[in-house]
Parts: sequence; C-alpha cells; structure tokens
Amino acid sequence: MKSESGRLRGAKRELWLAWYVTVVFYGMYSVVFFGLSRTQPPGRPWLDPDQTVAWFADRHWGLLIGFGVIFVLGGFSAVALALITHSIRRMSVSPVFAYSYLILYAIAAIPGFMYICVAMTAGVMRPNRAPIAAQWLYDLGFLSFVGTMGVFLIGSLIWMIAVLIDDNRVFPKWFGYLNLVNALTEVVIAPSWIFQRGVLAYNGAIGFWVNVPVFGLYTGVFIYLLRDFIQREDFGTGPLPAPADVWRRARPAVEAVGA
Amino acid sequence: MGRLGARSAAAADVSTSRVGERIIYWTWVPLLVIWIASFLLFPGFIHPVSPRASAEEVAAFYRQDLSRVRYSMILFNWFGVALIPLVLLIAERMRAMAHRTPVLRYCVIGVAGGAPIVFLTSTVFWLLAAFRPDRSPDLTLLTNDLAWITFTCGVPFLVALFLFLALAIAWDDQVEPVFPRWVGRFNVAMALAVAPAGFAGLARSGMFAWDGVVSFWVKNIAFGLWVVVMAIALRPAMRHERHPIETTT
Repeated sequence: MKSESGRLRGAKRELWLAWYVTVVFYGMYSVVFFGLSRTQPPGRPWLDPDQTVAWFADRHWGLLIGFGVIFVLGGFSAVALALITHSIRRMSVSPVFAYSYLILYAIAAIPGFMYICVAMTAGVMRPNRAPIAAQWLYDLGFLSFVGTMGVFLIGSLIWMIAVLIDDNRVFPKWFGYLNLVNALTEVVIAPSWIFQRGVLAYNGAIGFWVNVPVFGLYTGVFIYLLRDFIQREDFGTGPLPAPADVWRRARPAVEAVGA
Repeated sequence: MGRLGARSAAAADVSTSRVGERIIYWTWVPLLVIWIASFLLFPGFIHPVSPRASAEEVAAFYRQDLSRVRYSMILFNWFGVALIPLVLLIAERMRAMAHRTPVLRYCVIGVAGGAPIVFLTSTVFWLLAAFRPDRSPDLTLLTNDLAWITFTCGVPFLVALFLFLALAIAWDDQVEPVFPRWVGRFNVAMALAVAPAGFAGLARSGMFAWDGVVSFWVKNIAFGLWVVVMAIALRPAMRHERHPIETTT
C-alpha cells in the first residue's frame, strides 16, 4: 500500500485525489446538515408560521455559516460524479450510461442543495419577515431537499443496470441491487409532498429514519468500492484484475489454463 | 465532398470540427457585450438594491424602473446560459491535456451547467417580482431576496470550475501544455475572488453584504475578467494537439 502522499504523486493521482475529495465532501456535508445548520433530522412540517420564525431564530448563525460553506464548496459534489462516471466508462457498457449518470447527478445539485441553501438563507436573514413567508421558505427548503426524487431515482437505476450487465467486474453485482434499494427510497419519499404529519411526512419514520440511513449506507459502500476500483485500475480496457477479497464471488480475470 | 479535392474525409471532419469550435469561440465577444449591457440596463446593479431596504422601498423600486428590470433580465435569461458552450469548449480542449484519466474533464462537465442555472433562476425571481408590481410588498421583498441570494451566493459551481481548471492545468505534464501555467494560478485567484460571496447571507451591510464591494463588485468583475482571460488563453489552446504520452499498461 502506497503512502497517502505517494498516491497523490503516482500514476493514479487523479483518481486518488477525486476519492479523497469525495470522502471529505460527504464528511463536510454531514457536519453542515447535522451539526452546524441542524436541518437534519428535518424540522417538523406541522409548525405554524410563528413557530417557523422561532425555528429560524434558534438556528440563526448555524444556518448562515453552514449554508455559506455549502454555497462555496457545494460544487465539489461533481468530483464524486466524475469518479463514478469514469468507473462506468471502464465497464463493458455503452457510454450512454456514464454520461446519463453524470448529467442526472449534475442536475441533482440544484434541488439537492441549492434550493435549501437559498430558502434557509432568505428565511434567516430577515427575522422580522412576515411569518407566512417564513413558513413558505421553511417548506421550500425541506421539501426540495428531502423530495429530490427523480434525478436520484433514475440515476440509481442507470447505475444499477450498468453494474448488472457489466462484464469487466468494476463493481460487484450485489452493489447493483443496493442501487435498487436506494432507488426505492426515492419512491417511498413521494408522500412527503402530501402528508404534513405521521410516518410519511418529511421528518417521519420513512422520510427520515429509513431513507437517510439507507443513503448513508449506500454512500459509505460506494466510497469503499470506489477505493477498491482505484486500487485495481490498470488503465486498460478489459476486465479489471480480480479483487483480493473473496466476498464478491467474482470469476477469475483470465480463463484458467487447462480448465 | 468532391469540391474538397485531395483532402481526405478525415481531414474534412477535423476542419468542420474546427470551424464549429471557432464559431462557438467567437461568441464570447458578443456575449460579453450583452452581459455587460444587461448589467448596465438593470437599474438595481450600478447601485445594488440594498439588503437593508424595507418591503415598501423594494416594492417601490420595481414600480419605478419596471421596464428596465424586465428588459435587462429577459436579455440575461436569453444569454446567461450561453456560458455553457464556452465552458464545454474548454472541456473539449482538456482532451489534449496529458492526463491519464478523463476525471478532471468530467468534473468540469459536471459543473458546466451550474453557474448558468444559477443565473437563470435569479432572472426568474427578478422577473417574477416585476410581473405584478402592485403585489403585496412582503411578497415582492421575498422574491427580491430570493433573486439576490441566488445571484450573489450561488458561486459553488464557479469556485469548483475554477479550481478544477487550475488543477487540470497544473497536472498537464507535457513540454507544451494546453494552457500556460499562469492560467492555472489565475483560476485559483478567481476562485478566491468569488468565494466570499457565498457568505453574503451573513451580513446585511458592509463589504460582504450582497451590495458590498466583495460580494458584488469583486465577484462580478472577477467573473467578467475570467471570461476575457480564458478567451485569450483559449485561442492558442485551440490549435494544440496532444503529443503521444506513454501509458502505464
């Protein structure tokens, strides 16, 4: 195993840097949403207008600083997309899958973080705003962030199909099915656009307590698998060398001699 | 094809490709003129609408200068997104860089649409505020805030684009790099110039407020300067062919 500084000087430096940026980006994202801004778990959808004014006041600096960080660094979400796009190009599938993934997730940045950043900043920077407008901003922030559905749904399905039909074994087949699980969370989140309380609301048992852990697990798994992909990358076009581990039940990279 | 004489079909393809790239390249001149024109036409830019203005003052602003708000933002809505072909022209030139993977090029493509979508969204809010100037001042204030926050704080895609380009240029290890090294350093400087605007929500007055020197003038001048400098740097880069480099296989 090369040292960290060696990784950033070697032939795979573009891949390793992208991987490290991905890890740091998701770490920063978690700190901002769970720690600084306290917008995860999401606020309660049943707050009345005056209560949303109080909610903004309670998080004043956390929202402004946290979303300021996202306003500056949010564009680095593209690094993970670029690395994943490259990994899909490395598969034996049409480039259509790679480019579709890239564009779908590039678009996802707008409902995925821009809307909540704008809405929460607008909500908190004028404490004397009409309460009904504060509630409108509160809803815009949470609904757009939690209810970012289509781009993640189709993006996950595109990645799933690519993994399942790939012959180069860039990712293990089981990860294809994990993509399906992630895609399904985008289906079950749809009622959060309708219900203001209960398990289906955007802070409910399904909307938050099932979906966010699934997304966290999914993200952790693909970050680990991307590391594995970079280690095995040989800059060729055919099957990747077999992984050292045994859990993926992969076929050997070359036909066994004398089989 | 016959009129091309001895030129091969492949050469003709290259030529057509280059003609197309040249057409896109030269759009930067009229685009910059249009962007500056819409900037000057919008009555709330030369003296930016203050974040300290009351709802009544903001509503009065839209009533007074209604036509100029509309014309300038329709113009910006039309042509703000024309940044995308220019960024993709840079991304296409990145193919000639001595990188082993297309990851940095995919990074640039991944953020190419970001800044134009931010421009587009802010024009929607400005035009919405101007659509019914007799609307409740509280709603006009809200729409005006959304426009200004989107326009001012919406720098994540520019910061990322500039730093991706800086790194791509720094790692373009060949005798004649696609872009000279100083273009990379320039992109780092531009990223630093636009980044503070992301925190404009923190201040209602002073240099970091959305009407302040840093968040408004430095950020917008930096973006205009970036377009000019990258256009100048692109011209020789468009003639660049990649020299074969060894692979690690």
